[in-house]
Amino acid sequence: MVYFKVVNHVLSVGHIEILGVSSASMLQIGDTDNVSLYSMFDTPPESVIVGPMAPFPQPGSASEMTGESLVETEVGDTTFEEING
Amino acid sequence: MDDAAQGNLYPIRTANIGSVCIISAASSAVVQFGDRGETNARLRALALQRKEDHTTAGDVFFESYTVFYRDMPKLIDPDYDSGQVLALERSNRSPHINVGCIHIIAAGSSSSILAGNGMNLTADSRIKHIRQYPRPRPLPPIVSC
Repeated sequence: MVYFKVVNHVLSVGHIEILGVSSASMLQIGDTDNVSLYSMFDTPPESVIVGPMAPFPQPGSASEMTGESLVETEVGDTTFEEING
Repeated sequence: MDDAAQGNLYPIRTANIGSVCIISAASSAVVQFGDRGETNARLRALALQRKEDHTTAGDVFFESYTVFYRDMPKLIDPDYDSGQVLALERSNRSPHINVGCIHIIAAGSSSSILAGNGMNLTADSRIKHIRQYPRPRPLPPIVSC
């Protein structure tokens, strides 16, 4: 037998930013007793790409972005040109 | 035993939210401010890619695919069912949950956004992705003269 004691002290959150709440998923601000989330997804095997991914081109405002470590003009452009021959 | 006697001063917590901004809540998404007892959300989807137009190629049926009527995985544990495994005791020291600002771009099919208390939530999503393309015609057999 497990005795599980939870003490909830103050809970204050400043800001929540969410891109998407997808199928059969939940966002709750509050208390709950039971949550069961099931998801079954079936897709043809060739839809799952195994191997190197072709990179997307740079977004339009890539040079102005701050804090995006992967946005480097030289590296991105070289890779993209190689893939496209 | 009384909740206050156990040290649980606030048996029910209230959610306080400053602002909510949701751009899209589509396809049976639920947005609720307030408490809820029970939720049963189900999603069944056939993602179909065809050579022919959907209006001429006919219907597809969920019954044809086992993923749509397969049972949920069950926990078989008589001890758990009789309440002999876990004893949970919660005590709240603050009457509120505070959130300043919530910004959600999209809430999709059968999803739930709830500001408040819930008791039981069960959500089930089953998606099958198929393609319907005619098979290539078999080559004629090689006939030796």
